[in-house]
Amino acid sequence: MAFDLIVNGTVHTVDADTQTPLLWVIRDHVGLTGTKFSCGIGQCGACTLHVDGRAIRSCSAPASIAIGKPVLTIEGVSPDGSHPIQIAWKEFDAPQCGYCQSGMIMSALALLQQRPNPSDADIDAQVTNACRCGTYHRVRQAIHLAADLIKEGRRA
Amino acid sequence: VTVGVNRREFLATVAASQGAFVLGFWVPQRADAQTAPGASWYEEPATREINAWIVIAPDDTVTIRIAQTELGQGVWTSNAMMVCEELQCDWTKVRPQYASSNRDAREQAPEWTLNVMGQGATDPKGGGEPLFGNRDRTGVAGIPDSLYRRMRTNAASSVRDGRYYLQLAGAEARERLLLAAATLWSVPVTELTAKDSIIRHTSSGRTTTYGQIADRAAKTPHPRPETITIKPPDQWTLMGTEQKNLDVPLKVTGKTVYAIDVRVPGMKWAAVKSCPVYGGDVKSYDFEAIRKMPGVRSVVQFPIPNPALTRGRVFSGGVAVIADTWYQAKTALDRMPIEWKIPPEHAAFNTANMHASLLAALDQPGTVRVDQGDVGAAFARAAKIVEATYSTPYLPRARMEPGNATVLVTGDRVDIWIGDQSPQETRFSAAQITGIPEQNVHLHMCHLGGGFGRNGNGPQAEQAIVIANANRGTPIHLLWTREEDFIGTTYRAMGVARLKAGLDADGWPIALEVRTAMQEGGFGPDASFNVISRYHVPNYRYSNHTTKFHVPVGTRRGIGQAAHEFYRESFMDELAHVAARDPYRYRRELLARTKLPYKDDMIKALDMAAEMSGWGTPLPQGKARAIALEERGAEANGMATISAMVHTVSVSREGKVRLERVDVAHETGFGLVNPLSVKKQIEGQITWFYNDAMHQANTIKDGHIVENNFHTFPVSRINEDPPEINIRFFATGHWLIGMGHDRATSVQSAIGDAIFQITGKRFRDLPFSRHDLSWR
Repeated sequence: MAFDLIVNGTVHTVDADTQTPLLWVIRDHVGLTGTKFSCGIGQCGACTLHVDGRAIRSCSAPASIAIGKPVLTIEGVSPDGSHPIQIAWKEFDAPQCGYCQSGMIMSALALLQQRPNPSDADIDAQVTNACRCGTYHRVRQAIHLAADLIKEGRRA
Repeated sequence: VTVGVNRREFLATVAASQGAFVLGFWVPQRADAQTAPGASWYEEPATREINAWIVIAPDDTVTIRIAQTELGQGVWTSNAMMVCEELQCDWTKVRPQYASSNRDAREQAPEWTLNVMGQGATDPKGGGEPLFGNRDRTGVAGIPDSLYRRMRTNAASSVRDGRYYLQLAGAEARERLLLAAATLWSVPVTELTAKDSIIRHTSSGRTTTYGQIADRAAKTPHPRPETITIKPPDQWTLMGTEQKNLDVPLKVTGKTVYAIDVRVPGMKWAAVKSCPVYGGDVKSYDFEAIRKMPGVRSVVQFPIPNPALTRGRVFSGGVAVIADTWYQAKTALDRMPIEWKIPPEHAAFNTANMHASLLAALDQPGTVRVDQGDVGAAFARAAKIVEATYSTPYLPRARMEPGNATVLVTGDRVDIWIGDQSPQETRFSAAQITGIPEQNVHLHMCHLGGGFGRNGNGPQAEQAIVIANANRGTPIHLLWTREEDFIGTTYRAMGVARLKAGLDADGWPIALEVRTAMQEGGFGPDASFNVISRYHVPNYRYSNHTTKFHVPVGTRRGIGQAAHEFYRESFMDELAHVAARDPYRYRRELLARTKLPYKDDMIKALDMAAEMSGWGTPLPQGKARAIALEERGAEANGMATISAMVHTVSVSREGKVRLERVDVAHETGFGLVNPLSVKKQIEGQITWFYNDAMHQANTIKDGHIVENNFHTFPVSRINEDPPEINIRFFATGHWLIGMGHDRATSVQSAIGDAIFQITGKRFRDLPFSRHDLSWR
């Protein structure tokens, strides 16, 4: 059946089963491939995006949960890498293979929106994405820098 | 990202190339490279190339072709730096792009680039010691003479093997740019200088840019290319500096096109199931049961991939369901009844009986690799005998991007969009499977979502080619589930080791006998113990032992060192404890007593790491430090990579382990190309081997892999990352073997020894989380 999704501020009419995981609707019907598939069981977080401001693992959530609610994917954070969180990520050269990083950034962004000044414990509790390359050390520093940049008034 | 097929352009390029097929696919958005630069595969250049590695556009943009695959290790940047160093172009104008493995099938590298210059590993002016092997065309056994030489990405050797010819490529282009300008201005070329893409004639003040002179340079041959030299490290200006990785900006916006993101017009998706027991095949399946499900198109049964294309490894046969979307294909496949044909001798394997077989193999004669002095006589007079048996499990790479590839087979051409660590091999596979010559196979390379070992990608390409070959004219995108990825990968071999030492009355070893065992085909069966003991012992015997198992094994962030250094360094800690000596000073003294050519470098690494860590200063109860040496190549005077680390570890009374701090002393050899990438590799490998030490293992039940997703195969998260990592470098007098693996193997033995120091319990099998680590 056809339904509407509001992704990154744009309304997309998609023709899919509403029980299809949101990840696959975003990737195959909306056509945004920055959100990644990796485990398919909501474990690793590579598929993390925001629905109504909350970070969710989209491989394990049906598209129906997003109908009528704003969806934010990595492509909507900024088109040109100018968001403070992306600037911070680049400053620390955080990604290695990069495959998990869309989800990692979306988790970190949700954290920063709830807690503009996160402690290490906050990061440990909320950024639970898996990275096989081992970028955690730089990701943590990048989250703290992003918090500082946002506080300094750069565009959030 | 949609890949368009522009028929007119395709025909035009075919015609222009006089019958030779060239890349006819293009990404429309790339016309505006600022807005859609996410794809990284080879494209025919708009302007004439200077040489096979370098294209300079009129706007001074420099395209540098990369023949290794970016999988997070930084080759996209470091390979470009090696070319740019010599080219002396403006680094900010450099745009890497994958080299064409299709051209590599049709063109040879220039004769003057085929042999490395200089005197080997200890000559700073030379090209080091690339591993030429037998120059096999598939690139498996050495560096071929084809256009892009070694297109493999493995053995941590992208810098080691490619540096000399990448520097040569940059130098040749620079000299031709200068020659073109000199000819244009009618001045001697010796009066010109080149810097940051600007050529200057000092006395007249004339200048030009690389972009302005590139077309002339492309038509100006080098008169004597055999005279070209490369810069030694003391002349480097870009190499050796920390450069941020050029692929990172796209990776923080989600624009990077991994193979999983490729979309081709008319493409269908394939979900597959292989027999979970290796060597098994399909007995029957019932496609009729799912034929009418949404999106379902067809089914393809595929055989066990030809072992001749997978280096003798036997994977499994299986079934692919093809549908309009992958989720439709997977959903239907999950509901399709399949019966497997499983070899009973494979189904009889389980972890317990395999482990018992390995232990039994240790008691067999094995292959004696080293037998120095008289071990038996020395044991007879030893004051104390220490013996320990260690075990390590099967381990996969478990890269984050599951195996996938998009393949289009037409009557006379194969196109493959893939992230691949060995495109020359995949090209060969495509030709063998389809009967279409390698010269007509086009691989469109994508960055990989993790790699960690050459053939860790398993038969993703071979399966996809077979399925697409059965659907000629339709592009097929095969994608494995995570569970399927655990079947398609190769594993690091499960292993055991028994180490026995005889100590004199002062606690110093007078005899050492080491036996290691892994299955036949396991990589690096004699790593870390070969040739000579790294720690001095006058009587030394080393043998390795094998069994036969059915699990396909391969490289995994190393070729034996990871497990073997766990065995060796754990045993050194045990010996130091029995000798009642400080484990740092015990190692140091035993290194000092050797005649190993790089012993001073190893001692320096230990000293530096110990000093950085505050070795010997008091720690609160529940915390401990442990030190270990990491080396590759220390047994001889060739290339080597040497480091030492001190790990500060806490264990709570409830048994919760935390790696608190890591102090790393690492050699640079004659020079690191990009020290920032090296730091990232070290940090990453601390996480990697922390997982090996604490969490990860694959077990076998009834012949199949049990742990096949991240709920049963845990990957540590940021909450387990060490809060403090300190890395310090020191210069040494040889070229490095490589940085991509065998670093931070020390996490394993160090956590083990820290657990012992804190809890009094010594565990000798990984991962440690299987054990009760609590204490009171």
